[in-house]
Amino acid sequence: MMFDRRLIQEVDWVLLGLVLLHSLIGVFFIYSSSHFLAGDYYVRQLIWIGASLIALVLVLVIDYKFFVSLAVYFYGLTVALLAATLVFARFVAGTKSWITLGLMQFQPSEMAKIVMILVFARLFAEYKNAYLTAQHTLFALLLSGAPLILIILQPDLGTAMTFLAVIGGALILAGLKKKAILLFLLAALVLGIGGWSVGLKDYQKKRLTTLINPLHDPKGSGYQVIQSKIALGAGGLSGKGFMKGSQSQLRFLPARHTDFIFSVIGEEAGFLGVFAVIVLYFFMLARMFLSVSKARDRAGVYIIFTASLLIAFQFLVNILMIIGLFPVVGITLPFISYGGSSLLTSYIACGLVLNVKMRRFANV
Amino acid sequence: MPQEKIYEDLSLVRRRANTVFWVISALIFLALSYYWKIQIVDHKKFSGLAEANRTRQRALAAPRGLIRDRNDVILADNRASFKVSLVRENIKDMEASLAAVGRLLEVDVETLRKRVEQFKDLQQFEPIVIEDGLSSVDVAPIESRRLEFPELVVDAEPQRFYPKGTLAAHVLGYLQERTPEEIRAEPDRAARAGEMVGKTGVEREYDDILKGEDGKIIEVVDSLGRVRSEKARQNPVQGGDVVLTLDYRLQAMAEEALEGREGVVVALDPQSGEILALASFPTFDPNRFITRFTPTEWLQLTNDPLSPLENRAIRGLYAPGSIFKLVMSLGGLGFGYVTPDTSVYCSGSTEIYGAVRHCWFVPGHGPMNLADAIKNSCNIYFYTLGRRMGIDMIAMAAGRLGLGKKTGVDLAGEKEGLVPSSEWKTRTLKTPWYLGETISVAIGQGQLQVTPLQIAALTALVANLGTPARPHLFKSAPAGAKAGPAADDGAGAAAEPPFKPATFKSVIAGMWKSVNDGGTGRGAFVEGMDICGKTGSTQVVSRESAERLSRAGREVKTHSWFSGFAPRDHPRIVVTVLVEYGGGGGATAAPVAARMFELFNKEIQGK
Repeated sequence: MMFDRRLIQEVDWVLLGLVLLHSLIGVFFIYSSSHFLAGDYYVRQLIWIGASLIALVLVLVIDYKFFVSLAVYFYGLTVALLAATLVFARFVAGTKSWITLGLMQFQPSEMAKIVMILVFARLFAEYKNAYLTAQHTLFALLLSGAPLILIILQPDLGTAMTFLAVIGGALILAGLKKKAILLFLLAALVLGIGGWSVGLKDYQKKRLTTLINPLHDPKGSGYQVIQSKIALGAGGLSGKGFMKGSQSQLRFLPARHTDFIFSVIGEEAGFLGVFAVIVLYFFMLARMFLSVSKARDRAGVYIIFTASLLIAFQFLVNILMIIGLFPVVGITLPFISYGGSSLLTSYIACGLVLNVKMRRFANV
Repeated sequence: MPQEKIYEDLSLVRRRANTVFWVISALIFLALSYYWKIQIVDHKKFSGLAEANRTRQRALAAPRGLIRDRNDVILADNRASFKVSLVRENIKDMEASLAAVGRLLEVDVETLRKRVEQFKDLQQFEPIVIEDGLSSVDVAPIESRRLEFPELVVDAEPQRFYPKGTLAAHVLGYLQERTPEEIRAEPDRAARAGEMVGKTGVEREYDDILKGEDGKIIEVVDSLGRVRSEKARQNPVQGGDVVLTLDYRLQAMAEEALEGREGVVVALDPQSGEILALASFPTFDPNRFITRFTPTEWLQLTNDPLSPLENRAIRGLYAPGSIFKLVMSLGGLGFGYVTPDTSVYCSGSTEIYGAVRHCWFVPGHGPMNLADAIKNSCNIYFYTLGRRMGIDMIAMAAGRLGLGKKTGVDLAGEKEGLVPSSEWKTRTLKTPWYLGETISVAIGQGQLQVTPLQIAALTALVANLGTPARPHLFKSAPAGAKAGPAADDGAGAAAEPPFKPATFKSVIAGMWKSVNDGGTGRGAFVEGMDICGKTGSTQVVSRESAERLSRAGREVKTHSWFSGFAPRDHPRIVVTVLVEYGGGGGATAAPVAARMFELFNKEIQGK
C-alpha cells in the first residue's frame, strides 16, 4: 500500500517539526564546538539528518504491522550481527562495537535497539492479561537477554543500559508485578556487586567511583565531569554567547560535539538555553508518549511506548551524566549530539511512532 | 478478526505508558533544578574555575639590583638565561612524563623525581624549576617540541653574575633557591617557586633592596597548555642598586696579598667605619650557586675542612695574642696602673704566682717603658701589668674597647668572641678563676677570642683617639629604594670615648715605634706613610703541648696578626691581617699589611 493523501494528513507534523528543531539546535552547537577541528562535523551532521529523514520516510511508507511481522527475522539477523561484531570487529577506544561494511561503518547495537522495539511489539501484541505471568516474563527475558549479553561483552555499557531500560519498560507495560519489580531490583543489586568485582573493566569502575567523587581522579575519568560542570556553571543564567564559551572553544571540555554537547549549550546559552531545550524536549517526549492513546492496537502501543522510552531514557541519562548525577557511560543526547548511528536510530524510532500514529484509522 | 482489534481495550497499557512518561518527566525536571543550582547558585564559583582553567599566571622574575663598589665598579651583575620548569597540573602520567622529560633534557630521572618530590607540597599549577642557567641554544630543542611536552615551561630569567668571580665573595655572599620550608614559612609573601634569594653576605643583608618586584603575565591557554593570547602583563621592576664601601683595588690586593694562605685581611676607614676591603681565604666563586643544581660542588664546599664558605673576618674566632697588649696598655694607663714612663725590667723571664714565665725574646729587653714594651711586644712588661690589674679590670678594659661583643657590621652571622672574667668563669665553667690564668690573658692567650673585624674596629678606635665608628659595608642605594638604611655614617656604637685621648696617644707612640723604629711591626713599614701598628703571634695549642711538639721535632706554627693604621695624624686607613699558622706576626702578617698600605698610598689616597 502506498502513501495516500489521507495518510499524509495524519502525519504528526508537530512532532516531526520538534525533531527537526532539535536536530538544528544540535547542528548549531556542533558547529560551535568543532569549527576549529578539521572535518566539518556540522556539514556531516546535516548530511546525516538528510539521510535519517529519508530513512524515516521509508519507515512511514510501510505499515508498522509489516515490520512487526518480520520481527523474528530481524531478531535473528541482529543477534547474528552482534555475535559477528564480537568476533570480527577491531577494538576502537576499548570496545568492539563497530563493524565495517565497505566504506560504511555502523554499530549493530544501535540496530538492535530498533529491533527490540519490534520484538516486544510482536511478543506482547496478543498478550491481554492484566499482569505478566512468570512464564511470559522468563520468555521475554531470555529473548532480550541474548542481544543484551552480546552488547555487554563488547563492552558497551551505555547501550546495554539503554537496552535494559527498554526491556524493563516493556515488561512494566505488559504488567510486571510489583513483587517481581522488587525481585529484579534485588537481582540487579546482586549482579551489580558481582559484576563490579568480576565483570567491569577498570575504566568502568573508575567512572562509577568518580561519580561519587569526581576529584578522586581529576586527571582521568573525573576530568570530564569536572570540566563539564565548570562549563555549565560558568555559563550562568544567559551563557557566554554562541561560540564564546572558553571551556568548549579552548577544548577543556571533552567529547564536546558528541556526549557533552549539552554542556556546550549550557556554557554558551546559559541556564535559559538549558531550560529551553529541556522544555522543548519535554514537549517532544510528551507528543511521542501520549500518542499511545492514538494507537489502534496493542502492538502499536508497545511500539510507541518503547520507542519513546528509548529516546527519553537516553535524554535523561545524558543530562544527568554531564552534570555528575550519573556515571559517564557514553550515552548521547538523541537528535542533538553529533553522530550518524545515533541519529539514524533516533529518527527510525521516531518514524515508528509516527507510523503507528498516522495509521490509527486505517482498517486493514 | 479485525472487528475485535478495533474494540480491543487498551486502557490499561495506555495508563501504564502515561505513568512511565510522567515519572520520566518528573526526573527530567528534577535534573533541571540541579542545573539551576550549578548554573545560577554556584555560578560564581564555576566562573572562577573556568577562568583559572583558561588563564595561566606566570611570574616574571625581577632582575636583582646591581652591587657596586665605591668607585661604581660592578661586583654583582645580571645576565640573560633560561630556565625550564615542570607544571604537574599538565601531567597525566607522572612516570612517563619524567622519563620523557629526562630524555629531552638529558637529566637523570632519579634527579628529576627527587626534585619534584622536594616541592610536592606546592600547588599543582606552580612550576617546579628542573633546569636553569641555559642559553637560548640550549632551550631551542625544548621550544621546538612544546606540543609533545605541555608540562614544560621555558622562561627567560635574569641570572646573577659576578663578573669578578671570587672577588669579595664573602662580602657579596651568594644566592640560593628558596626552599619549600621557607616558602611555607612566609605564606603572605608572594613567593615565586624557584625564586633565588640572598643567603649570605650583602645579597642577604640587602635582599629587600636588591630583589626588586616580580612582574606577572596572565595568558589565555587551551587545554593542552598552549598559549592563545596574553591577557595582562605587569612588568617586573628591577631591584635597587647597592653601592658598597669596598674599593675593588684594595679588595683585590687583600686577596692577592694573602697568597693562598688561610687568613683574613680587613681594611677600613677609621673615621667613618667604611670597610674598604674584607678578604677571607679560602674563598669560593658565588657564580657556582647561581644555578639551582650543583649538589656535588656544594657538598664539596660545605664539607671542606677549611670551610671556604665561612667568612673568617666576622666568624673566625682567634686568640688575639700580642695584639691584646694594646688593650692592656689602654687599660693600664686609663685605670692608672701605669704611666707612660713606668719602667719594668725584662730579663727574659720572671717568676709570677710561683711559676717561671718567659719573654719571647730570651736574652731579655732590659728596662721597658710602655712605648718600648709595645714596640718590642715585651711579655714581661705585660705580665707585670696583668698581675697589677687583675682579670676583671682587664675584662673591663676589653669590654670598653669593643671586644666580646659584635661590631654591628651589616653582615649576618657575626660572632661575639669572648672576654673571660672571674664572674664569667664561675658562671659558665663553675670553677674559680686562677690567678695564673690572668697572666695568659695579659698577653692575649687563654680563653680570649676575637674576630679579625673586632681587631680592625679596635684599631680604628685607637686611631680615632677613642671615637668609635661602626664598621659597615653599605654606602648608598638609589633614592626611593625601599627599606634602604640611611647612608651609613658608622656612628653610634658608644657615644662616650672609653679613655682619654692622651691615653690613646701614648699607646699610638708605641705602635709608631713598632713599625718605624725597628720594632716587631717593622715589616709593615712603608716609606713616608707614618704607619702605626701592632703585631701578634697566637699560640694555637697550649704552651705545654707546643713544647712537647717541638721536642718531637714537629714545627709549631702560630697564627700571625698585624693590625695598624696610617697616617699617625688624621688616620685614613686601618689594616688588620690575620694569617692562620703564619708564624710570627712581624714576619708574615706585617708585610701583607704593608702591601695594602702601599697601594692605598700610591693609588687611592687623595684621588
